[in-house]
Amino acid sequence: MLRPVVISSQDGAYFLFGGEKMKEQLISISAAAKTAVEACENEAQIEEVRVKYLGKKGELTAILKQMGGLSPEERPIMGQLVNQAKQELEALITDKKEILKQAARDEKLKAETIDITMPAKELKVGKLHPLNTVLDDMINIFQSMGFDVVDGPEVETDYYNFECLNVPADHPARDMQDTFYLADNILLRTQTSAAQIRTMENLKPPIRVICPGRVFRADEVDATHSPVFHQIEGLVVDKGVTMCDLKGVLEQFAHEIYGKDTKVKFRPSFFPFTEPSVEVDVTCSECAGKGCRVCKGSGWIEILGAGMVHPNVLRSCGIDPEEYSGFAFGIGLDRLTTTRYKISDIRLLFENDKRFLDQF
Amino acid sequence: MKISLNALKYYVDINVPVEELCDRMVMAGFEVESIEKQGDNLVNVVVAKIEEIKPHENSDHLQICQMNIGEKELVQIVTGAQNIKEGDLVPAALNDSYLPCGAHIVSGKLRGVESNGMLCSGEELCLTEAEYEGASVNGILILKNTHPVGTDMREVLGLDDYIIDFKITANRPDCNCFIGVAKEISVVLGTQFKMPETDYKTVGGDIKDYISVEVKNYDLCPRYIGRVVKNLRIKESPVWMQKALIASGMRPINNIVDITNFVMLETGQPMHAFNYNDLADKKIIVRNARQGESITTLDGKDYNLTEDMLVIADGEKPSCLAGIMGGKESEIEADTKDLFLESAKFRRDNIRHTGRALGIRTEASGRYERGVDILNVEYAANRALNLISALDAGDIIEGVIDCNQGLPEDKIITVTTDKIMELIGVEVSDEKIVEILNALGLPTTINGKEITCRVPSIRDDIEGRADLAEEIMRIYGYDHIVGTKMRGTVNRGKLLPERIKTNKIKKLLTGAGLYEIATYSFISSKAIDTLMLPENDERRNEIKIINPLGDEYSTMRTQLTTSMLTVLATNINKKISEGRFFEISKRFVPKALPLTEQPLELPTMSIGIYGKDEDFFTLKGIIEAMCSLLGAHTQYERSNEPYLHPGRQALVKANNKEFCVFGEVHPAVAVNYGIEEKVYVADIKLDVLLDIEKRKTVYKPLPKFPAVERDFAMLVDADLPVGNIERAISSGAGRLLEKIELFDVYQGAQIPQGKKSVAYSVWLRSADSTLTDTQIEEVNNKIIKKLQSIGAELRK
Repeated sequence: MLRPVVISSQDGAYFLFGGEKMKEQLISISAAAKTAVEACENEAQIEEVRVKYLGKKGELTAILKQMGGLSPEERPIMGQLVNQAKQELEALITDKKEILKQAARDEKLKAETIDITMPAKELKVGKLHPLNTVLDDMINIFQSMGFDVVDGPEVETDYYNFECLNVPADHPARDMQDTFYLADNILLRTQTSAAQIRTMENLKPPIRVICPGRVFRADEVDATHSPVFHQIEGLVVDKGVTMCDLKGVLEQFAHEIYGKDTKVKFRPSFFPFTEPSVEVDVTCSECAGKGCRVCKGSGWIEILGAGMVHPNVLRSCGIDPEEYSGFAFGIGLDRLTTTRYKISDIRLLFENDKRFLDQF
Repeated sequence: MKISLNALKYYVDINVPVEELCDRMVMAGFEVESIEKQGDNLVNVVVAKIEEIKPHENSDHLQICQMNIGEKELVQIVTGAQNIKEGDLVPAALNDSYLPCGAHIVSGKLRGVESNGMLCSGEELCLTEAEYEGASVNGILILKNTHPVGTDMREVLGLDDYIIDFKITANRPDCNCFIGVAKEISVVLGTQFKMPETDYKTVGGDIKDYISVEVKNYDLCPRYIGRVVKNLRIKESPVWMQKALIASGMRPINNIVDITNFVMLETGQPMHAFNYNDLADKKIIVRNARQGESITTLDGKDYNLTEDMLVIADGEKPSCLAGIMGGKESEIEADTKDLFLESAKFRRDNIRHTGRALGIRTEASGRYERGVDILNVEYAANRALNLISALDAGDIIEGVIDCNQGLPEDKIITVTTDKIMELIGVEVSDEKIVEILNALGLPTTINGKEITCRVPSIRDDIEGRADLAEEIMRIYGYDHIVGTKMRGTVNRGKLLPERIKTNKIKKLLTGAGLYEIATYSFISSKAIDTLMLPENDERRNEIKIINPLGDEYSTMRTQLTTSMLTVLATNINKKISEGRFFEISKRFVPKALPLTEQPLELPTMSIGIYGKDEDFFTLKGIIEAMCSLLGAHTQYERSNEPYLHPGRQALVKANNKEFCVFGEVHPAVAVNYGIEEKVYVADIKLDVLLDIEKRKTVYKPLPKFPAVERDFAMLVDADLPVGNIERAISSGAGRLLEKIELFDVYQGAQIPQGKKSVAYSVWLRSADSTLTDTQIEEVNNKIIKKLQSIGAELRK
């Protein structure tokens, strides 16, 4: 018969009678099962272990079957112990299974390692022409300052390209630009300034516009000259507009294009359609104004011409120069593009080699 | 304009280094194109003494000289000259020397004998007799014993001058001369300016006894001054004058010609000297040329004149092309006895026009074109007489003939200083304003805030307050302008709708792998022929440039395709295996030819693609994506553009408007560009596409009920376009149709000759219920019926 023994159980109950053997058996089976689980290397093995201990004919299940030999007081206590052992083992098996699964997945992932330096599956994406990439930047800058963007015709009349801009026929200022003529009074515009006039004729001040566009001059083609090039004309007309305002706008433009430390310098010059007229220099972005090959040692680079709109020009557009004043500026887009990307030959812009276009 | 610094110093005190002078002039509006130090082109040439001369064994004219250049060792130089003897001092160009004539001298062997330099002639040093006595001798220049051996020749020749090239802007013709530039320097540096003397002695007499002058056209010649000088004593002009002329790029000739040229450089007023004795009837008539008249100019060229050209005629014929060039016949020559001197103002546009018409441009015509001052005409004439008198070049006859119709008064500008400076936004004190204007030769007084400024005719570029503002600021300094931020209501600028749409299209196309290109708006006159268009094709109505850079760039394009083909060819030639390109530009369509008004400039797009994966349908896909973006419904029709493959091209309509033709380029066209592979182009009227108003996008609920897929396989005639099958399916399916997809087209084994097998998947779906078998069956039958009606034989 079983001797009454006292063992502690989790719930604090006691075995009062002999069940010691069964308990020892339980402990030994549990320990063996734990070792077996830990030794498993794959899911199949762990399944074997599960069947061996927890299956219908499993060792732990077998213990339950022996409980009939216990006293009614011992039975629930022993039953609880066995169930507890089963649950523990089940949890252990689940955990082990998860660990093994993870290990197997890690193994698989490791095996799937690829050479990341192999070439990409090419996504064919084109590019905008560099002139338009730069133009878009410029438009953004001026739009943010409240400039509307307008267009004008490329084929102009003498009137809009010259006369209205204070350059009458046979005026020496016409020599500043060699003009392509299509008929007596019809020509390819030599400057986007022509669009100034059309804007002022159509709008009442306050006016704040830029007009980007293609212009033409009879310059022989070489590394720095092209008979076709592009300008961005800016025009502001309002009451009380000053040269300081002009400088402010150009400074903001220069800061965005060339960096915030860029300085802007006005140099007196002459254009028939502005008075006073200035050439505008910015500190050389290559050497920050110290002087280098790019700026020919001067520290400055000429970027555009500008000035206060000539009273005659305002007048010919029906705007009273006593009441209103304004400024205008003309930026060379091609030059800006070639300097930004350090393109040494302007002809590359019009050759359209894909390997060139792909760089911008 | 190139000016000698030494010449300028005659008129103005220059107390700063040349670089500083130039920097300050630039900031006052006078751009400096170059500063050339005289003698920069004369390097390593020294005074040398001939210690020994020996004949060359292998030559009957060469001599071997041992030269003392002030160093321990003598230098051996072989020369061919014969005018030398031992003991002579001569200029020796040593090894690695440069001469003004452009030569670079290095050591070498002459007929086997080492020569470490060259003995120089006056000509090789570009010297005139006036600059160094003996310079014109044919042979080596023998130097006077003024400098020790070894002295640099630049020192011997006194080459201490700088030649400054000022870029004079078109509004400042008054500064195209020494006096004008010197005046500006005096204001910029704040130093003294001195106007040259104009006094002279006459020998009495009365000019009226010698010549009569008649101006027939005062419009073209507002002022004409004439003087007579007798008993010319023609010789070389003085060295200082020659130097000034040479520095400014003019060739000294003789004292009379040099004086007229010098006075032009000095005052900006061109002068002309006629041989008095060659003037028929002792008459000067300023008139328009007559029909059929011609003239032989000083350079010996003949010109036929037209009636709009102004001439200075004598009693018989034109003697001078007014303001441009004198006639050969009345030229001043070494033996000319008496002269008639002209100083005049001609209308600048007429001179420009005549000069352009005849293709002549001279120092004089350039100045007349830019404008000379009517008052300066007289000053310059007097200055010329002053020099003739001072240099004793002839006897000046008393009296002046001065033809004019009244001389201008100073222009008076009255304006407040505030009004001037409000254009600038910078505070400049009233005193400073008045001081600057006075210094610039614009006599100005102030009363309260109001200034009264007298503008002499020589500054007729000054019209009002804007000009005064510029004058003040360029002297006060543009550096005082401090930028202010934009003021007023702040709005983000607007873009034109076309630009917004075009930007969207560009984004789509670049995303689809197309590169944007840029090509010239003008093309070769022959480019259009490469497209094999018929004679009456409207794209042949091209506008020609009257003055093109060459035939290659002579014609405004009516299409972008030829430019695209050129770009495709460029890339193919560079062995770039594939490419997709687009260009957005304008086509120029004349309303009439010859052009009477501005042509239409229509936005146009060209697409070009090539490469092994590209075909008609890639291009079609690009076009469809674009149309879908713009909300346009497309239809395709067969087209017959001569430049495209007859069987592989299509006309596309968007919302029933023709806007695009695309396809494979005809091999006969491609070969014109040296293209041998298949290339595909699309010509797109962007204006039509941009005009399409996209319907407002409204959300459509996602389907709640399942779709049913049915496949239809059929045999049809081989030449039946699948588009017809799609239309049949679509009309049969009605509004239940969700999607049609072509999944197979097959011709060949098991398919009867002249037939093709076509298979479609069709998805049907109802928005408000699950389709019943009956409904599906009904639609299925309708589709089959429609398909049979176009001759399709359904396959099971």
